[in-house]
Amino acid sequence: MSAAALNVKDLSVWIETESGRRRIVDNISFSIKSGEALGLVGESGCGKTMTAFAILGTLPATGATIECAAIEINGRDISRLSSSQRRSVLGRDIAMIFQQPGTALDPVFNIGQQITAVHRRHVGGGKDKTRQAMLDSLSQVGFNQPGKIAAAYPHELSGGMRQLAMIAMATVCNPAVLIADEPSTALDSASRALVLQQIKRLQEDHGTAILMVSHDLSVIRQSCQNVMVMYCGRLLEKTDCESLFSHARHPYSAGLISCIPQIDAAKQPRIKAIPGQVPIPSELPSGCHFAPRCGHAIVQCEQSVPGFATDSSHSVACFRPL
Amino acid sequence: MNKHHQQATTPLLEVHELSLSYPHQENAIDRVSFKLEAGKTLGLVGASGAGKSSVARAILHLLKPDAGAVLFDGQNIFNMDHDTLRDARRRIQIVFQEPSSSLSPRRTVKQTLLEPLRHFAIGDNDYRQSKIRQTLQTVGLDEEVLSRYPHQFSTGQQQRIAIARALITNPDLLIADEAVSALDVSIQAQILQLIQALQQEHGIAFLFISHDLAVIRQIADDVAVMYRGQLLEHSPAGTFFSQPAHPYSKALLSFASFNAPAQLKALQATVEQLPACIYADRCTEKMPVCERLEPGIHNIRHKNGLHCVKCHLYDEKNTNDS
Repeated sequence: MSAAALNVKDLSVWIETESGRRRIVDNISFSIKSGEALGLVGESGCGKTMTAFAILGTLPATGATIECAAIEINGRDISRLSSSQRRSVLGRDIAMIFQQPGTALDPVFNIGQQITAVHRRHVGGGKDKTRQAMLDSLSQVGFNQPGKIAAAYPHELSGGMRQLAMIAMATVCNPAVLIADEPSTALDSASRALVLQQIKRLQEDHGTAILMVSHDLSVIRQSCQNVMVMYCGRLLEKTDCESLFSHARHPYSAGLISCIPQIDAAKQPRIKAIPGQVPIPSELPSGCHFAPRCGHAIVQCEQSVPGFATDSSHSVACFRPL
Repeated sequence: MNKHHQQATTPLLEVHELSLSYPHQENAIDRVSFKLEAGKTLGLVGASGAGKSSVARAILHLLKPDAGAVLFDGQNIFNMDHDTLRDARRRIQIVFQEPSSSLSPRRTVKQTLLEPLRHFAIGDNDYRQSKIRQTLQTVGLDEEVLSRYPHQFSTGQQQRIAIARALITNPDLLIADEAVSALDVSIQAQILQLIQALQQEHGIAFLFISHDLAVIRQIADDVAVMYRGQLLEHSPAGTFFSQPAHPYSKALLSFASFNAPAQLKALQATVEQLPACIYADRCTEKMPVCERLEPGIHNIRHKNGLHCVKCHLYDEKNTNDS
């Protein structure tokens, strides 16, 4: 376990609602090794982004509380840092890129200023060194005229180029862990291919550990070795991508796979939607949260919660795995 | 219902040499022509900014083109008298990408669905009430939603309401402008299934605009590819996905199936001077003639229909054929 770049133990997130406290991330544990990309997949509202923010310790929702045994980056627990200590970790040891680069970048500073600010804060070493690091990080994500991009403001770039600029900003200090929250969802297919390719390169060339959050299993399959399936705050299945696609054991995972439209429709059956929708946190069923939408559910599923072993290579939380 | 007033030879929709410039962008639509038969689905694909949505808005007469015609049932909508245009507008409806911004937050579902019926003076009160109930059922919502406001629904349900609003006037043509792009893969699958069902039961023609080729593959009969305002390829879907002709289409398909390494070149949209063939600056199969001469539109005949492609690569074949 010491080799893990990111190690999350027993993480739960609670929010206060009008009808009481709700647990929206339910006791999840996982770890990512250096050079590994782990996908976190699930529908909107299942707690993926809350998990990401909880790891960073920057939960946007007021009144949200985090409980965890530990969140370790290269063996160092960051879950109990003061806010000033945390500021020295975020951006240097762990960084995040967001779904909407247009809103995550500051419109009144040019790209170069925003990237150098990160480098100056964490590394420093003078104006020239910082500028060089900024230009290097831009050329690393594939810009062949980094100076030109550095002088541009976010609105002058296309969505795909903004996302690449954000990757450059996130990686200018060469963090051990990168969290990518739906990095390609708002992009068209050409930009998406490029962004995923750059994230993959970070993982392969720099040994960055990557947590890739997405609702789209096809994106996860493209960019990750391993995958966790999340539903209503709980992990339902965790395995490597190939096993998941060849033999998904949880009915929910299988449902997500059958939702993916296939380009090669000659070979594939048409898409099949999962009936129903994600329950809201105040109306969670007891037992297995997925039971009401599940075609395989039995009485036991509605009464008790299936366990989830975290150590085996293919874990599944289901009484009747496929 | 009232579909029998069109002749078998006239397509439901014919866009003929449509051109449109914006003050800040010349040739946002550049001589675009295509036809759509009643009850069929045309998938209009292309990267962001290719002019897909401008075409949709021109068909709805929300934009006035600089040149060209949009023939609906054989009549040019830009020359229609007031009453005919009103009827055409009833028969052409649109569903937008973001249901949260296309539904009025201040109207209940009932008010939203009543509005088009009132506007087009369709039916009496009893008819309207039963039509609203029937349409809700068609899109898979319960009657109890009628008194609720858009924010009380999930995105998928909001999109169902937007579809119901479009369906309630019994349209012959429904334009879906990235209607599933903002949705989760699982919700996207549900909406795609709904659209397929609508088409089978009601025989509505769809102009389905999307940048996602896998989605287009699921539902389109024909595919048209736009790039920088021009239509580069137009063919039956089966042919397009098995034998794409234009280098741009091939590139799009390889991005979509993650087969090819993407190149940053593909994202950098700004060129000072567009080459004669608008794709020449990025084309992997560029020839000297592509810089000099605008390619003509070549027709390749396949057993399942006409395949049009605007590319010099087919110059020679074209002369051989004719």
